[in-house]
Amino acid sequence: MDFSFLDDWGEEEAGPRLAEGGEGYRNIWVVAEAADGALHAATLEAMGQARELADQIGVYVYGVLLGEGVEALGQKLIACGADLVLAADEPALAAYQPETYTQALACLVEQYRPEILLLAATPLGSDLAPRLAQRLNTGLISHCVKLELDMSERLLLGTFPVMGDEMFHTAACPEARPQMATLKPGYFRLPYEDTYRSGDVQRVEVDLGQAMGQLAWVDLNAGVDLADVPLSKAKIVVSAGRGLQDAEGFALAEQLARALGGVVAGSRGAYDEGWVGEDKIVGVGGEEIAPDLYVACGISGDVYHTFGLRSAKFVVAINPDENAPIMKIANIAVVGDAKSVIPALLEALAV
Amino acid sequence: MKIIVPIKQILDPSGLSFRRDKERMFINREEYIIDPGSRAAVEAALRLKGDEDQVIALSVGKPQAEDALREALAMGCDAAYLLSDRAFAAADVSVTARILAAAVERLGGADLVVTGRESGDTGAGQIGPRLAEALGYTQVTDVYALAAGDRGIQATRRWGKGYAAVEAPLPAIVTVAPEAFTPRYPHGARIMSAYREWDVTVWNAPDLELAEAALTPLLAQRGESFPPPLEVGEVFRGDPDSIARDVIAALRQQKAIA
Repeated sequence: MDFSFLDDWGEEEAGPRLAEGGEGYRNIWVVAEAADGALHAATLEAMGQARELADQIGVYVYGVLLGEGVEALGQKLIACGADLVLAADEPALAAYQPETYTQALACLVEQYRPEILLLAATPLGSDLAPRLAQRLNTGLISHCVKLELDMSERLLLGTFPVMGDEMFHTAACPEARPQMATLKPGYFRLPYEDTYRSGDVQRVEVDLGQAMGQLAWVDLNAGVDLADVPLSKAKIVVSAGRGLQDAEGFALAEQLARALGGVVAGSRGAYDEGWVGEDKIVGVGGEEIAPDLYVACGISGDVYHTFGLRSAKFVVAINPDENAPIMKIANIAVVGDAKSVIPALLEALAV
Repeated sequence: MKIIVPIKQILDPSGLSFRRDKERMFINREEYIIDPGSRAAVEAALRLKGDEDQVIALSVGKPQAEDALREALAMGCDAAYLLSDRAFAAADVSVTARILAAAVERLGGADLVVTGRESGDTGAGQIGPRLAEALGYTQVTDVYALAAGDRGIQATRRWGKGYAAVEAPLPAIVTVAPEAFTPRYPHGARIMSAYREWDVTVWNAPDLELAEAALTPLLAQRGESFPPPLEVGEVFRGDPDSIARDVIAALRQQKAIA
């Protein structure tokens, strides 16, 4: 009896094939971020992306946890795609400090030599990644919305928005290792959480050396008053028109602006009604604006108004008249009375 | 206190147009302006400046970046240095950080460095932390409010889903959010002086003792692309509640809202 077919079978089981990265650098790392004992959703998105990339070049995915009492989060990283988790569980890393986090990661990178290192472009990731990249003397592609591999050169290609999100650039780091990138939250799929996946959570020692945290975190829930954002710089503008009928209707537009984190403005009609000030008129003789999102509530949209918003990236119009001019330029045209649609929008936003 | 403000000159976005359907960027009017983030940084530094304090603007760029520095002088900076050399032409953000670090060191170090969170053109948002690492200073990024404190500075920065109040000792590097520091208009007399009387000092690679090896960029450009054209005229009608759910879902998908 010939049992040689079993040999082939055994090889199949041997796990990912380890291909050689530049000068002994291999594997993909995701530096995890946790808050209040749970992993940040953006970390899981990065983990999902790391898994996809790793499967293309046959390497392992490592999750890296820094902090105090974070070891327990390792299993979740494994369920989301990590093969191995390195946990630097130290009291000195309990609170984020640029110096100690940079030192801890630099120490681990030197020891394990990852080929690719990913972080989420959260406030923490955006603070830490460039400092770490400078320490490691390597390139960093920040705010990526897409990651690919150039298989011929085994390079990570990162695509990121530039010029006020009007276009994308793609960059690579051809020589230096590790190749680093930060991933913009919300642009990558959350991985399926497979609780049957297995992997080790390894506790690692890091040498913090002379590195000392210098920041004092005074208040983690500080408020910021940004009421004076000028209309021309606002990212989201909710604009009111005569179709809102009365002050009660205008109050709805104000509520919607607050719920969306935007600024309320109006047409000339709204100014005539006394709802908005002179600095909040959109159109000819008022402000020309370029928000990411413009919501026109009860505005018919004559050319004097629409001229002011021709640079708006995305326009939503709410108007009972389907043939109103604003409905022709809107990306989303809602046929209906703003006074009944806005409360429904507020409710849908709250979910 | 010595405050150093690295600034950047960019192509004026109002002179550019983008055609998604043609997949091209058109330069209708080639004019250079001081980056909005840099203007906010100058503003933040000037708000901190007391009678004894000195605010110095730095810029890495082509000779024309002198205009941006003169604008910074007009706003209220005390001195301006242009770091310009043919050898800097290929600089990426890691090299720019090294050039700036060499200039800060030649100026005898700083108590505080203030710069923009990210520039309005390529917007990598890396220069602050990279410069902090190169100089060995601590860092606070994405700052919305800034004041002098007992230990050094007090800052309110974006953190998690909200904001956090932080104190940092000096020397430190702060990157500011452009939306939180509306820049002042320069005084007319200062504009005249900035262009007629005051000097912008130019330093090149030998002045900064930068070797060629330190000027090799790490990142390489691998092409550009455009988002697909937005659809116009999707019409929603019917019951307000179901419209509302569909509209919010569509906006989330477009990343127009969080």
